[in-house]
Amino acid sequence: MKLRHSIPIILVVLYGVVPLLLQHNNYIMSILVASLTIAGIALAWSLLGNLGGMVSFGHAAFFGVGSYTSAILTMKMGVPVFPAILFGGIGAAIASIAVLPALRLAGPYFALAILAYANIFRILATEFTSLTGGAGGLLGIPLFPELFGFNFGSKLGSYLIITSIVLIFAVIYRMIRTSYHGFALLAMIEGEDSTRVVGVNSTFLKAMMLFLSAFMTGIIGAFNAHYINFLEPDYAFSGVWTMIPIVAAIFGGYRTLTGPIIGAIVVYTVDQLIFKALIPSGHQIILGALLTLMILFAPDGLIPLFSKKLSWARRVKENRSPQTGHIC
Amino acid sequence: MSALILQSLYSGLLTGGYYALIALGLALVFSTVKIINLAHGEMVLLAAYMAYVMENSFATNPVVAMPLALVIASLIAVIIYFLISRIKKHRELNSLILTYGIGIILTNAILITWSADIHSTSNEAMQKPITIGPFSSMTSELIFLGVSMLMVAALWWWLTRSWYGRAVRAVSSNRDAAKLMGINPQNTELVAFIVAGILASFAGVALYCTGVIQPSLGTALTTKAFIITVLAGIGSIPGVLIGSVLIGVAESLTVTLYSSAIQELTGMVLFLLVLFVLPNGLFGQTRRRG
Repeated sequence: MKLRHSIPIILVVLYGVVPLLLQHNNYIMSILVASLTIAGIALAWSLLGNLGGMVSFGHAAFFGVGSYTSAILTMKMGVPVFPAILFGGIGAAIASIAVLPALRLAGPYFALAILAYANIFRILATEFTSLTGGAGGLLGIPLFPELFGFNFGSKLGSYLIITSIVLIFAVIYRMIRTSYHGFALLAMIEGEDSTRVVGVNSTFLKAMMLFLSAFMTGIIGAFNAHYINFLEPDYAFSGVWTMIPIVAAIFGGYRTLTGPIIGAIVVYTVDQLIFKALIPSGHQIILGALLTLMILFAPDGLIPLFSKKLSWARRVKENRSPQTGHIC
Repeated sequence: MSALILQSLYSGLLTGGYYALIALGLALVFSTVKIINLAHGEMVLLAAYMAYVMENSFATNPVVAMPLALVIASLIAVIIYFLISRIKKHRELNSLILTYGIGIILTNAILITWSADIHSTSNEAMQKPITIGPFSSMTSELIFLGVSMLMVAALWWWLTRSWYGRAVRAVSSNRDAAKLMGINPQNTELVAFIVAGILASFAGVALYCTGVIQPSLGTALTTKAFIITVLAGIGSIPGVLIGSVLIGVAESLTVTLYSSAIQELTGMVLFLLVLFVLPNGLFGQTRRRG
C-alpha cells in the first residue's frame, strides 16, 4: 500500500528531478548509470534467490553472454541496437539451459555448479576468436541510436534507458511475486516436498525463474556493452558482476523488492566515491567485510530491519497492542 | 608421440598430487561439517604467500615457511569456524555467502599487502630437474606428490583410527547421538576446521614451490578443490587422491593434445558430467539427494 502511494513521487524523481539537476555532471551520471546496472543484476539475482530459492555465484556468465550476443548481432549482422539488446537477454536465457541439470541438485551444489559455468563461458569467449575477438576483445560496439530526435547515446539517454529497464524488471518481479505462481514459489522454499504433493510443478517453476533471471541479467549485460562500447572476456565475465550484486542484494535485503535496488545504488556509490579513494587497489575488501557482517548480524538485509523498526515504533506510538510490540 | 603422451600422463599424476593437497581440506570440512568453505582457496593462497615472504625476505628455502603457514592457515580456519557457528538460520546457504565474503576479504587483503604481481619460487633445489627412467619433472613436484600421499594416508588414519577423527565422523552422521556419547560437537567441528587449515598450509607451500601465485588465484583454487571433491564423492578420502589424479591427467593430456588455453575447461566439463551422471561421485556413499 505504502509503496503504491510513493510510486508517482519515485517516477517524478527518477525521470524529472535527477535528469534536470544532474545531467551536466558527467561523473555523477556515469556513477548513477553504473549503479543502476548493478541494481538490475542484483534484482535478477534476488529474483532467483528469493523466488527460486537458489543462491548463484555465476551471474557473470549470463551478463557476459548477454553482452556478447548483443554486441556480435549489432556488429556482424547489422541488427539495430534495441532489438539486439532483447536478443542479448534471449541469448542469456538460452545459455541458462546449460545450467538446467543443476536444478536437480541441492543448494550448495547449484551454487558451485553455476560458478563453474561462469568460468566455462569465459574460456569459450576467449577461445572463439573468430566470433568474439578473443582476448583482444571487441572494439567500437555501436552506441544507442538517436530516436524521436533524442540522442540515447548520451549519458542522459543511457540513464533513461537503464532506469526504465530496472523499473520494468521491478514491475515484472512484483507481478510474479503476487501471482499464484509466486505464492507457490514462496511456499516451495518452506518445504519443496509438501508443495509438490499439492500439485506444484516445482522443477518447472524453478526453471522458469532461472530463465527469467538469466534473461534479465543478459539484458543488463547487453545494455552495458552498448553503453561502454567495448568488450573483452575478462571484463564481460568478471567476478565483479557476480560479487557487487550479491553484496548489494544482501545489504538491502534480497527478499524484498526495493532492497536490491537501493542496496545497489548505496553500495556502488559509496564504494566508488569513498572506499576507492581510501584504498585504491583492493577496496573490495570493505565489500567483503560488509557481506560478512550482514550475514552475521542482519541476514535479512537493512530494508526489512528498518521497516520492522518503523512499524514497531508506530505501534508503540499508537499504543494499540503493546504486547505484540516486543515479539517482533 | 607415445613418449609425449606417457610424459604428459606422468606430469598429470604429479599435478594431481598437489591438487589433492588443495582439495583434501575442503573435502574434509564438506563431508563432516557439511559446509562448503568458499574461502578455502584463499587459505591455501595465504599459506603460499607465507612461503613467498620467507623466501623473499629471509632468503630461505620456501619449505622453511611451513610452521608460519601452519599457524596462519589454522588461525584463519578457526576464525571462519567461529563466524560460521554464529549464523542463526539457513546455515547451509548463509555459510556459503559468509565464506564467499571472507574469500573476498582475504583476496583483497593479499592484494593490498603484496600487490597484484605474479610470484614463483627461485629456489634452485626445488626447481632442479629430476629424471626417473624416461620421465622428467621438477624436484618439488615429486616431493609434494609424496607429501600428498602421506597426507591422504594420515588423514585416512586420523578419521578411522584416532579418537578425534571418529568423533568428527560421529558428529557428522548424528549430532544429537554424538552429544549423548559425551562428544562436544562444537569442539569436534572446530578440530575438523583446524585440520583443514593444516592441510591448506601444506597445499599452499606446495603451490608456491611448484607453480605461480597471484592474488586472484583463490577462487580458481576453491573451484578446483570443489570439482575434485564432487568427483571423488562426499566422504571418500582416498577418492580425493584418485579424483585429483584424474583431473591432473585429463588437464595435462588436454594441454599436450590440444592447447593449454582450454586446460581449465577439461576439468570443468568432467565435473559437470560427473555431477549430472553420478551425483554421488565416483567413490561416494550412495545417498539419496533432493
